[in-house]
Amino acid sequence: MSTEKLKEIILKVLPDVDTVIGWQEGFDKIHITPFFMKSPEDAEKAVWNSLCVQNLAAYLPSLKKKTAVIVKGCDSRTIVQYMQEGLIDRSNVVIIGIPCTGVVSVKKVLKAVDYQPIEDVKFSDEKIIIKTSKGEKTLAIADVCPDKCKTCQYPTPIVYDHLAGDPIESTKPAESVYEDIKEFEKKSLEERRDYFKNEFDKCIRCYACRNACPMCVCQDSCIAETRDPHWITQKLSSEEKMMFHMIHAVHLAGRCVECGECERVCPMDIPVAKLKKKINSEMKELFDYVPGVNPEDKPPMYTFNVEEAKIKEHKL
Amino acid sequence: MRVGVFICHCGSNIAGTVDVARVAAEARKIPGVAFATNYMYTCSEPGQDEIKAAIKRENLDRIVVAACSPRMHENTFRKTIQKAGLNKYFLEMANIREHIAWIGNDKELNTEKAIDAVSMAIAKVMQNKPLHATSFKINKRVLVIGGGVAGMQAALDCADGGLDVVLVEKSPAVGGIMARLDKTFPTIDCSICILGPKMVDVGQHEKIKLFAYSEIEEIKGYIGNYQIKIRKKATYVDWEKCTGCGLCMEKCPSKNSYDYFNFGVAPTKAINIPFPQAIPKKAKIDPNYCRQFLKGKCGVCAKICPTGAINYEMKDEIVTEEVGAIVVATGYGLLDQNILTEYGGTRYPDVISGIQYERLLNASGPTSGHIERPSDHTEPKTIVFVSCAGSRDKSIGVPYCSGFCCMYIAKQAILTKDHIPDSQSYVFYMDIRSPGKGYDEFTRRAQEEYGAQYIRGRVSKIYPKGKKMIVRGADTLLGTQVEIEADLVVLATAAIAAEGAAEMAEKLHISYDTFGFYVESHPKLRPVETNTSGVFLAGACQGPKDIPSSVGQGSAAAAKVLSLFSRDMLESDPAIAQVNTNACVGCLKCLKTCPFQAIVEDTLRSGKKVAKVIETVCAGCGVCTSTCPCGAIQLQHFTDNQLLSEVSAICQM
Ligand SMILES: Cc1cc2nc3c(=O)[nH]c(=O)nc-3n(C[C@H](O)[C@H](O)[C@H](O)COP(=O)(O)OP(=O)(O)OC[C@H]3O[C@@H](n4cnc5c(N)ncnc54)[C@H](O)[C@@H]3O)c2cc1C
Ligand code: SF4
Ligand code: SF4
Ligand code: SF4
Ligand code: SF4
Repeated sequence: MSTEKLKEIILKVLPDVDTVIGWQEGFDKIHITPFFMKSPEDAEKAVWNSLCVQNLAAYLPSLKKKTAVIVKGCDSRTIVQYMQEGLIDRSNVVIIGIPCTGVVSVKKVLKAVDYQPIEDVKFSDEKIIIKTSKGEKTLAIADVCPDKCKTCQYPTPIVYDHLAGDPIESTKPAESVYEDIKEFEKKSLEERRDYFKNEFDKCIRCYACRNACPMCVCQDSCIAETRDPHWITQKLSSEEKMMFHMIHAVHLAGRCVECGECERVCPMDIPVAKLKKKINSEMKELFDYVPGVNPEDKPPMYTFNVEEAKIKEHKL
Repeated sequence: MRVGVFICHCGSNIAGTVDVARVAAEARKIPGVAFATNYMYTCSEPGQDEIKAAIKRENLDRIVVAACSPRMHENTFRKTIQKAGLNKYFLEMANIREHIAWIGNDKELNTEKAIDAVSMAIAKVMQNKPLHATSFKINKRVLVIGGGVAGMQAALDCADGGLDVVLVEKSPAVGGIMARLDKTFPTIDCSICILGPKMVDVGQHEKIKLFAYSEIEEIKGYIGNYQIKIRKKATYVDWEKCTGCGLCMEKCPSKNSYDYFNFGVAPTKAINIPFPQAIPKKAKIDPNYCRQFLKGKCGVCAKICPTGAINYEMKDEIVTEEVGAIVVATGYGLLDQNILTEYGGTRYPDVISGIQYERLLNASGPTSGHIERPSDHTEPKTIVFVSCAGSRDKSIGVPYCSGFCCMYIAKQAILTKDHIPDSQSYVFYMDIRSPGKGYDEFTRRAQEEYGAQYIRGRVSKIYPKGKKMIVRGADTLLGTQVEIEADLVVLATAAIAAEGAAEMAEKLHISYDTFGFYVESHPKLRPVETNTSGVFLAGACQGPKDIPSSVGQGSAAAAKVLSLFSRDMLESDPAIAQVNTNACVGCLKCLKTCPFQAIVEDTLRSGKKVAKVIETVCAGCGVCTSTCPCGAIQLQHFTDNQLLSEVSAICQM
């Protein structure tokens, strides 16, 4: 898919909306940043490549005016979830979908080049070529993609108004999605507890994960910081950190769209999404529900059913 | 803050296994506690006076009573402290009886646990806020659901007491099971003769609005102010015009319609009036059998009906009624005979259920009261009654006793002898349960005067042999196997919850047990109340019971409604959800989960979208509070911080 095709669509929808949210180059060649386009001149600067990692759909609930947003397949699940939860007005949103074969984890690339300053980045079929002062390095995108791309089921957006490119089918088996979770569950209770304790102990409670999460709707009211209710204190103890992550995970039960933004933004490299993925696998098992897939679905935690098909509490 | 703590001995109920003096001594050490003591019977008048006196003397402003379950005495103590000038929500109870003293006998451990429970209550009471009830008007109309004998009694008593009554019956006529019975034990008086006048009264009482062949679609609101949506099911006959002449029924060519009233003993017509004494006496078409519906042509009834009442286009209609209280009298159902495979299920026509036999005995039944075998219409001479057909059988999920079967079997054995003097009845029984007035004498009469042979033991198998049915069972008194060649076998099938009982309970927000029977507020002291105020129970919907008890409950429920309506205003419970509009982010997840539809969307002056609780509708269930991600909606008296303070207290011990 070419950036040219994308620009064409942007120019077409611009007159109809207040803003088109897309990506542009950032402070260096490897960092792409979100871009709020208002004019045809802006559109010229839009980019699309495997470094366009951010989930731009996350901006939608806070925008009042009609907005167009560019989404990859994975990002589109956020929009679907917003629709299920009534957090956006679909008629106020224009969705420009991009079929995507996988993005690049900047963290993995930086690690591969030993954290050298990046001078240039080029792409050549399924590969990324990184130039640093130490020379050029060619990496297969499949080797440096975020984990979510490895099992991606929705390379083509689930909802869109315009599609920049031809739809592509997923080549990854559906069972692979929760394979890592199944693997992890084989560990003993103690191992799993120690794993999370160690990981969450690294947390500095910067709340970047929460702020990047498209489904964290509470914004300034987040109970990680309120005194009424006073669920956790501001102390940097393991218990409080653990509690914060538990709350985050529970609030996302059956809502996490597995966009991986929390992990991407964590400065401490904590596998923040893991617990949420585990809960999602439970939600699938119990309620046969996958978040962000069907706009007509009702999130199971936001309905009141006396009897759930698989939970026979009142069985006569 | 000056907390007063009262530890109750409850005689030896608590003091027997909890060191109450030590609990009081430990409580005294907790910061904020100004006074702690233990007392023999805190709920007694002197006990309450002691609390009032201590509030004055020690200048207490919060009270903790460690005693029984708050379901017993919370109200008592709330009133006590209110009389002493405190807000009644400044009371906390620690349940050290049911939760501690009664469930463990290690005094040391019990005492430790009681100290924990008391310290939690102290932590909570210090977080409590004064709450104030608001009052609202009562709509003095009552809804009765179910027109069996219990429901009719309740409706009549309420109506005679001057209330407007809405009676909703799901079948085409009132009367319930009693309308199908032949005679009633223990006096053998004709069932419809004693029920008929009541049915007529229900049909004609100016204060009773009867919706027959109707069901409850939706119940909204709360005690004092319910809005009820009633679905009037399509009868395809305009009841305003139908005179009940029965011409249509006579002429209808579709003769194989299932007869619900007669429990399928014989078929009926597609258009029918269920029984001669039916109230209302109106015809109704069963579209599952009607040729006009099945084949698109016939129309015989429309042509014959002298008043032009037939309307094949009729649709269900929804009407709304407003009431202030509800009496549930939906009765019971009978176990599906098909489950009883060892008795052949329903494979053998000459193995029938007790209620079907009742219809065979009945002069207005399909055989005009002649007992005959369904298979060949001959008169049976040997009849075997099998009690507990399904009842008291854990394996099929009916571990309880159906209550009235022993009695009606005795009745049916007596009536059988009356109808066929040269007949012989056998009764297989586990125990004879006949504890009512005149009941035991009655079962003895069946044996001694009417010669029914009672065999103590279970029937293991019933199978056909030629024209006879072989009933094989144990005689546990003689310790032998017995086999009886019977002409007819009558199974006393178990009483089970009425069809749709669970769904109805959900609509009413009342609880039901594992069997689907409705749960009363207190098994001894509040037998017709439910835990949802404004909803009362009558009759067999609460558990199998005979006619006298059902009628008694109908009157009792009516008395409760009349006493509730003797006031003009009711007080609302302030322990309901409240939204902190500063914290609310307007995600409206709470609105979606509230089972009572008590939450609406609201817009603040700033334009901010927030959730709003309709005070009078909120039932204080707390579902919203556990849904709200930011804790913006809090259940008053059970806020997150109040609960967290209890958790902290117990973690610090
Ligand atoms: C074979 C047999 C013989 C018996 N003989 C005797 C006897 O001789 N003496 C005696 O004392 N007892 C006898 N009983 C017991 C007697 O039938 C019950 O005690 C009595 O019927 C209970 O009355 P009820 O009004 O509670 O329930 P029911 O008679 O079951 O009436 C309930 C009514 O509610 C209606 N209803 C149910 N669900 C709904 C709904 N969702 N919405 C609206 N309406 C609804 C039903 O259609 C029915 O009309 C006998 C029982 C059986 C099975
Ligand atoms: S982004 Fe990382 S460090 Fe920051 S709060 Fe989240 S988990 Fe902790
Ligand atoms: S239409 Fe025919 S079959 Fe149907 S009720 Fe009328 S007469 Fe009977
Ligand atoms: S769930 Fe909480 S934040 Fe959301 S609307 Fe309700 S009260 Fe407000
Ligand atoms: S507590 Fe909340 S969920 Fe429960 S009835 Fe009240 S508003 Fe609805």
